Amino acid sequence: MEPKGAWRLALPLALAQVLFFLAPLLILAATSLATDENLSAVSGQAWAEVLGDSFNLGAAWNTLRLGAMTVLATTVLAVPLALLHLAAGPGLKKLILLAAVLPLLTSVVVRTFAWIAILGREGVINNALIATGLATAPVPLLQTEHGLILALTQIEMPLMLLPLIAAMARIDPVLLDASAALGASLLRTLRRVVLPIALPGLLAGATLVFASAATAFISQSVIGGGRLAYLPYLVWQQAMVVFNWPLAAALALTLMASVLAVVTALSALGRKVAHV
Amino acid sequence: MIRMNRRALLGASLGALAMPALPRTTMAAGSMSAAVYPGGWDEALRGVLAPALKRAHDVDVAFEPLFAVDQIAKARAARGVAPFDVFVLDPGPRVQGIDLNLFESFDPSRLANRAKLPEGYADRHGAGVAAQVVGIAYNPKKLPKPAGWRDLFKPEYASRLGLTGFGTTFGTVSLIEMAKVWGGSETDVEPLFTELRKILPQVAAVAQPAAIPGLFQQGQIDVMYTNTYTVSLLKSRGVVIEFALPETGGVAFGTTMHIAKGAKNIEQSYQYIDTMIATDVQSALSQAPYFFVPVNTEVTPGAEVPMRSIADLSKFVTHDWSKINPLRPRWIDRFNREMAK
Repeated sequence: MEPKGAWRLALPLALAQVLFFLAPLLILAATSLATDENLSAVSGQAWAEVLGDSFNLGAAWNTLRLGAMTVLATTVLAVPLALLHLAAGPGLKKLILLAAVLPLLTSVVVRTFAWIAILGREGVINNALIATGLATAPVPLLQTEHGLILALTQIEMPLMLLPLIAAMARIDPVLLDASAALGASLLRTLRRVVLPIALPGLLAGATLVFASAATAFISQSVIGGGRLAYLPYLVWQQAMVVFNWPLAAALALTLMASVLAVVTALSALGRKVAHV
Repeated sequence: MIRMNRRALLGASLGALAMPALPRTTMAAGSMSAAVYPGGWDEALRGVLAPALKRAHDVDVAFEPLFAVDQIAKARAARGVAPFDVFVLDPGPRVQGIDLNLFESFDPSRLANRAKLPEGYADRHGAGVAAQVVGIAYNPKKLPKPAGWRDLFKPEYASRLGLTGFGTTFGTVSLIEMAKVWGGSETDVEPLFTELRKILPQVAAVAQPAAIPGLFQQGQIDVMYTNTYTVSLLKSRGVVIEFALPETGGVAFGTTMHIAKGAKNIEQSYQYIDTMIATDVQSALSQAPYFFVPVNTEVTPGAEVPMRSIADLSKFVTHDWSKINPLRPRWIDRFNREMAK
């Protein structure tokens, strides 16, 4: 039972949300339906350009696919690491946690540029491939989708690993013993005991990684380059270089709506799983 | 040492991307704020102009690092409230600023150093403070010196070329000059797209303008179109790079300063622009490591600048931005689509 009038405590935050989030969002929506940034007249031109143009729709699809691929890659790498953390002794646990948090202590900008030095033609990977004779000429990695996914996987990894570790920490070791005592194999214990408990953490991680990778403007433009079209760059270009604010607003809302749709689906899935 | 420099360089070019997010404020009386291009210009104006302004007029300047297009975007978004006192712009954004009425009317007679500028360098919109020369930069250890724009389309150069679109002034003028060698003109870049389509599968990189110097420095590309400032800056960081003037002529354009409409510090803004064109400041800026192209007629350009005086500017290729600006949004969009995989 909440005390009477407790809602008043939420007023400052609610007011700030209306003023600094809802109002700008409404202005953005209004701009997307106008002929210019001064909202001189109503027009559906910008939306027609977004929804009726295969290039813009393709960029939206690329953006969502990039988010999904990054989620997939971080999941594949984070689950074994989280399991290792679960099984590890206190010393190794600390080490894994430190390794998970460490990338967060450097800025995304620095991590992105480090990846140029790694993926480049004369970068670490290509030098190693050529030195070991696995390749005779530099393999294109920078400015490719798989190079970008590789970089984003490292950049977004903590967002997947930390919720996963937190969720797995809730597993009572007794449950694992009970499962083994009842004759379940290691794989079965993993599937029937560990994964169901860890799933909310996995979904939380997937949500964070997806939203972050799909909107990673700097990594997308610097590592992805000019041949891969993603929505965040198009929004920036239309707003800052071309000054077509209605189109920029429509593209921005498209990005927001599509990311939000995936995130909502993931959290609905998370709620469903939590109730099972 | 070189590693440190590499990082500083990478940081500077990426910082340019992140800069618009940083808030800046103007301080007490005797102060003003000015936009400055990120990178070499930012370093040069902080190092030379700011101390000179303090000495001459006791004015403190707060710099806001923004590319020309970002300055216009910011002023436009501010809807009549000046985001800073002084703009520094290339010809394209300058014409946009005039069209959008973003500048205070400028009185050249308020510049004490007015007489040191060539005729036509100060008008009712603002004053010229430097020039930029755009051409081809290449790694002499990897490639022979290119003769001109046409060479960039030969396989040995195309496979090492870094392409960037119409988003910047240097990108736009370079692409126009390439279009010209293939039969296009200042207003017709169609032949360029036809030729680009042929070499695109081999091109080393297509990147955002701010990322191009970093790619060159990392060996991802060995030839690019850029201005002499970028070449000087990279050279000073130990990068193997040379500048080549194309056989059809180098491209030159003026960089101008303008007082923002509604600026609060008008007097200080005139003092700032006047100090920028003063002989001592222009000669310091024209030397290593900055190598600015001076507009002050008393100053001789530095060794790295491919002209001996500002009078030489007439021998360079120039463009009419009132014709280019209306076409540019379509070219930018076209470039996106042509480059997309």
